[in-house]
Amino acid sequence: MTNHIDKTDVIIVGSGAAGSLMAAKLSEAGKKVTILEAGPERRLEDLTSSQIHARRLKWGGDPVEENGKQPIGNVFNSGYGTGGSALHHYAVWPRLHGEDFKVKSLYNRAFDWPIDYDDIRPYYDRIQQEVGISGDHTAEIWRPEGDAYPLPPVPAFQQSEVIARGFAKLGKQTSPLPLAVNSRDYQGRPACLWDGWCDAGCPTRALASPLAHYLPKAIKQDVNIIHNAAAARILTDKSGKKAIGVKYHDKDGAEIILMADMVVLAAYAIQNPRLLLNSADGGLANRSGLVGAYIMSHAAALVYGLFDQETAPYMGATGGQMLNQDSYDHKDQRTQGFGSFQWMIAQAVKPNDLLGYGGSNPGLYGAKLTEFMARAAHHFGTMTACVEDLPLPENRVSLSSNKDRFGIPLAHAHHTSHADSYALWRGAKQEGIEIFKAAGATEFWNGPLGPMHIMGGTIMGDTAENSVTNSYGQCHDIDNLFIAGPGLFPTSGGVNPTFTVHALTLRSSEYILNNWSGVIS
Amino acid sequence: MAFLLGDGVINLTPAEAKTRKIPFRSLDQKQVSTLDFLSDAIVPGAKSAGLSHFIDHQLSAPHEDNLLILRYLRINPPFKDFYTSALKAFEISVRLKYNKPPLDLSEAEISEFISIMRQKKPIGWPEFIEEPKQEVPPAPFFYFVLRSDAIDVTYGTVNSFDNMDIPYMAHIEPAHPWESPS
Ligand SMILES: Cc1cc2nc3c(=O)[nH]c(=O)nc-3n(C[C@H](O)[C@H](O)[C@H](O)COP(=O)(O)OP(=O)(O)OC[C@H]3O[C@@H](n4cnc5c(N)ncnc54)[C@H](O)[C@@H]3O)c2cc1C
Ligand code: SF4
Repeated sequence: MTNHIDKTDVIIVGSGAAGSLMAAKLSEAGKKVTILEAGPERRLEDLTSSQIHARRLKWGGDPVEENGKQPIGNVFNSGYGTGGSALHHYAVWPRLHGEDFKVKSLYNRAFDWPIDYDDIRPYYDRIQQEVGISGDHTAEIWRPEGDAYPLPPVPAFQQSEVIARGFAKLGKQTSPLPLAVNSRDYQGRPACLWDGWCDAGCPTRALASPLAHYLPKAIKQDVNIIHNAAAARILTDKSGKKAIGVKYHDKDGAEIILMADMVVLAAYAIQNPRLLLNSADGGLANRSGLVGAYIMSHAAALVYGLFDQETAPYMGATGGQMLNQDSYDHKDQRTQGFGSFQWMIAQAVKPNDLLGYGGSNPGLYGAKLTEFMARAAHHFGTMTACVEDLPLPENRVSLSSNKDRFGIPLAHAHHTSHADSYALWRGAKQEGIEIFKAAGATEFWNGPLGPMHIMGGTIMGDTAENSVTNSYGQCHDIDNLFIAGPGLFPTSGGVNPTFTVHALTLRSSEYILNNWSGVIS
Repeated sequence: MAFLLGDGVINLTPAEAKTRKIPFRSLDQKQVSTLDFLSDAIVPGAKSAGLSHFIDHQLSAPHEDNLLILRYLRINPPFKDFYTSALKAFEISVRLKYNKPPLDLSEAEISEFISIMRQKKPIGWPEFIEEPKQEVPPAPFFYFVLRSDAIDVTYGTVNSFDNMDIPYMAHIEPAHPWESPS
């Protein structure tokens, strides 16, 4: 049986980074907003400081089938429940660079974005003021034009000081890492305590997760968040050119239809295309045939080492303490491969879990492992390169022949890195080892390629032939259907995506409000 | 974690559950002994930290709340067959190589076996086991998963941070090291 419930102005599917910001902005302008969130309700007081508990925040919805040589790592890379992935994201918030928007015109590869840096710069500036980013824009010599950060930089603890010496010896620069984490009290949120529990979700609100920042604003405006509400289908009128609502299933499996003037998909880069593909024969908003295409994931180049000095690896934020972007601009001037990468230096590390030092050297067991763990607890150092992933049409989300309990096809995600992106990752790994050697590491080694962040799948562009949406995330085929999140990125750049997700979403929200009657008519 | 004891439910750490001999829900005694033996050889201390109780408890947890590292690793739930089939494969392979059951292996023998299983398929490690037919995970993958589980219980707890002389600095301390309210 299908239950119909009220009509609302806007339905937002997903309560993560994009959904919560969109909900706050639209509701503050007087729109009646309902968020459908597939996962359970999470509260700040649920965020137990434990790497074992942290796993509960991971994707727990319908399984995603994955293949390809470098599978997308959906469970590790996605969250589920209030705040989505962003609830336990590490808040490393650098900006994309000018080149990232012009990869096609500069290098005749991949795509240009339909906007350039100057279009998005004011939104970066406004978001950083609104949310709070700690950093030092002068030390960040690579950063494109923009306002100074509103908060002083994050402190450097022993681990980053030790590793920074290696960069300096090789003539490379380091700066404080830009983090959406409060270095002092800001916007009613407290300063960080630098205890490294961000991966388990920050319950103090020092880190700008949706639960800390935009969801409380949305809730203040009476935004209704329905949890355990997995959207199954976007409904359209007979013409197929207007979205009229969303069908979802509640926890007990009941089918419910909610009507709205506008629908915003903010269910992240795998579930947004799944929803579109399941909503019409051949996929909704899919004139381009590109719904699902060009999914990307930054390749993480992991570098580990042991140092004679005390590194206090337990101090700091999970995202790290310092940044280097010497290998960012001039994408065609890398030692191997093509693209941009940045180093995030000195992550706070715990003993266990995939990113813990226990997992860094899986060949060790028995007495040697015991010895290693004791030493690593005080002398471990690590850094991670975030390596650009060039978009490929065959890297895509499609519908599987296997179905969930409601008969909805599961998402199937294929991902194999572009050969030039893979080469870029190899080069980054090698550079990392040279830096650790120069820093005086007594032992140094690399981890395997780890997929990090998910982008693409519903890319933006100028026309319905080459993209799914315009630069505002508005579907070319359906005016009142919007997409928000990193799924819109036509290229990945070599920086973490969520600051850009915020800037784009703010821009879209203003476009929606300024054009409301035209958009919904 | 909530363990069933008689008619009631009590919250215990896996180590406490082990000391109090809380009955297992998913694994039988032989599987528990084999799991303890192998995991303790990979991560010394895992057995007394209560690894078997941790895994056993998590095997019956709902997927959404599951705390096993396996959920990251592209294996879909339920996870029980993953462990039980690999333990069976371990026994088959050990018997073939050493002509004795796993628990009779010397320290040198189990260490030698682990050095093989972490890198490649040991002789006799089946792809499937029969009755009921189950797919067996590759030995290096099983090693990786079991090692990670064992590191979780041996090093990922408030007590183990104390033992390593590193501060835990919890915002919200787990009521028990990895207690789950479920
Ligand atoms: C461990 C980790 C660390 C990270 N660190 C960083 C970092 O340091 N810097 C950075 O820039 N980025 C980081 N990221 C990436 C960042 O979290 C994402 O870029 C960002 O959250 C994407 O925002 P989103 O709103 O599109 O998706 P999400 O924040 O994932 O929100 C999507 C929501 O949609 C819900 N949903 C899915 N399907 C449905 C459906 N059918 N119906 C209803 N709801 C649905 C999900 O449950 C989820 O709550 C990290 C991610 C992870 C997992
Ligand atoms: S280190 Fe800072 S941002 Fe991370 S969880 Fe602790 S207080 Fe929050």
